[in-house]
Amino acid sequence: MENSRETGSTNDGDASPRNANYYDIDDILVEGELVPVVFYKSANGVKVDPSAEKDSVEEGAKVELPFWLAQELYLRQAVSLSIPTCFNQNTRREIQADAACVDLKSRCPYFYEFGCKIAPLVGDRTIGKMLLSTFQMRYKEILTKAHTTAYAPASKSLAVLTKEETSLHEAARSSMAAFKKWRIGGPRFQRASVLGRKRKSTE
Amino acid sequence: MAGQSDPHISLFSPQEIEFMAEDELVEIVPNIRMDPLNFISGDFGPFFPQIPAKVPLWLAVALKKRGKCTIRPPQWMSIENLTHVLEGEREDQGAFQAVPFHYIEISRLLFDHARDDIPDIYMVRSLIEDIRDVRLHKVETNLEKFSATSAVKISHLSAMEVNVVRPFVVRSLQAFYKHDNPVVMADLDSSSDIQPQVRQPQVPRNAQRQPLKRR
Amino acid sequence: MGAGFCFSKENMHGRLACRLVKEFNSGEKGQLNHFNEELLNEVAKECSENFLVLQSLIRKMQEEGLDFQTTRNADHYGALINHLSLIRNKRCLLAYVYNRAEMIQNLAWTVGLRLFELPEEIQEKLSHPEKEYFKKHSSALESYMSKVDLDLNVDMVPPKDPYIKVRVLDDVGEGIVVSDKAANFARHSMHFLKRTDAELYISRGLMEELTG
Repeated sequence: MENSRETGSTNDGDASPRNANYYDIDDILVEGELVPVVFYKSANGVKVDPSAEKDSVEEGAKVELPFWLAQELYLRQAVSLSIPTCFNQNTRREIQADAACVDLKSRCPYFYEFGCKIAPLVGDRTIGKMLLSTFQMRYKEILTKAHTTAYAPASKSLAVLTKEETSLHEAARSSMAAFKKWRIGGPRFQRASVLGRKRKSTE
Repeated sequence: MAGQSDPHISLFSPQEIEFMAEDELVEIVPNIRMDPLNFISGDFGPFFPQIPAKVPLWLAVALKKRGKCTIRPPQWMSIENLTHVLEGEREDQGAFQAVPFHYIEISRLLFDHARDDIPDIYMVRSLIEDIRDVRLHKVETNLEKFSATSAVKISHLSAMEVNVVRPFVVRSLQAFYKHDNPVVMADLDSSSDIQPQVRQPQVPRNAQRQPLKRR
Repeated sequence: MGAGFCFSKENMHGRLACRLVKEFNSGEKGQLNHFNEELLNEVAKECSENFLVLQSLIRKMQEEGLDFQTTRNADHYGALINHLSLIRNKRCLLAYVYNRAEMIQNLAWTVGLRLFELPEEIQEKLSHPEKEYFKKHSSALESYMSKVDLDLNVDMVPPKDPYIKVRVLDDVGEGIVVSDKAANFARHSMHFLKRTDAELYISRGLMEELTG
């Protein structure tokens, strides 16, 4: 009975209230992260295998697919998944050694979110634990950075933060900055923030 | 009015917090005679010269600006009390002293508009600034101790203090909750090598959507 | 990531759509980028291609006398992948348009209700339908405000004094009449204006509030 219709609608396909993240830009980008898969079945009329001569993919082909596709194919037993490189043993060892300094952003800007989505699929319980311990170890660093780099948001140490870590840092920094500004006093009305910081220079 | 609040990071602007603080009552001593004022929030007055009256802070400031009254600084703004509070804050690193919920905003408004009504204003001001700095530092130390979504309870934080840390705390707790929630990974044991045909990949999403009410 | 593992990314299903969404996300936070009509059309084109392939695969299965509801052959999985791509592309397109529309609505609340009140560099970033959307949203807002008889787009900051001191930063234009007087708003001139009159000029960056 399962997937009885060719075009059986999937969770990600409809904008029903079930999927509150449907329009969420970050959620869309998380699901665009790549997962290594091996095809159990072949498929015609698709452009997923660059080594194939025609528009098709053969059984046994190893390719990387974006999560949104890999997940659905996996649930239909058309592919097998392996753990994406950003969660491999190398990365884990580096995190173990010095969590705060690892450049997670270059590995995967959506490290935590992607981890949460991929863990149940690849059936690796250690990913979840690793995410928690990574976050615990880096959390304090984020907090300290937020209070010390109050006026230097472009600081180098921030370049290693993932998207969520950056948002956290920014949340701490901006509320503190707003408070300090209020304490000093000054104009209550400001240029609308949608207009950007500066208007084009008026000649 | 919520134009300045950022819905995405659940933050009030400091101006909005100040606006709420302006509803707190203070005692004024009018130098004019005035009929009662009937507001949505209540009736104030009638006012007679030299007879103290309680009014909202915003009204007190408005009258003061026009030279119609003096404002009596609240009890807690005495040097004795503030010194006591500051000592308490410094001695007990684990807890916060009970201070008025809007002490930062009220003192700022009075310093701005009623400096001549506050005895020893420099001393009072520096005490309040010290108290505020010690407390903010303590808040930060408290935040560093977070490591999972165990209970988080910090008593006696003031409106402005809560507001400053709110966006960060809310986001961090959500992250801790998400990664620390056994439900998210619960069904892995049973299904890691079974065909996942009928299982919907919905588990983590549902888990995240549970309200953060475990306190 | 072995070299043989990668594929030509430009060709891949959903790649362009991902680029479109990333583009929305790039640049400074909360700032509108240029509407990328070209890329949007390319993604829409990919959707049509997905649909055509999907159709042809189903037709092929029917011609072969296969029950496409139960058959699990290469054509089935091909159709499935195209269907999933179509859905993904649609989500990206909608998210792009939807998130921009939210920001455009926000312009009406914070900058001005008329298109000409928006700075030129903002206007240039909007597509024609987005401009229409802005106008219609604004007029709905205006008629609502006139029904409830309240200016809802002022006092975005909790109000204090009814009058504030401002300095003109830019040529505001001649013949501007604010509610109670017609003044000459030359650049750098200073004025004492009703707060609610000055507010929108300040948020547009044409005036600044002076304090102290």
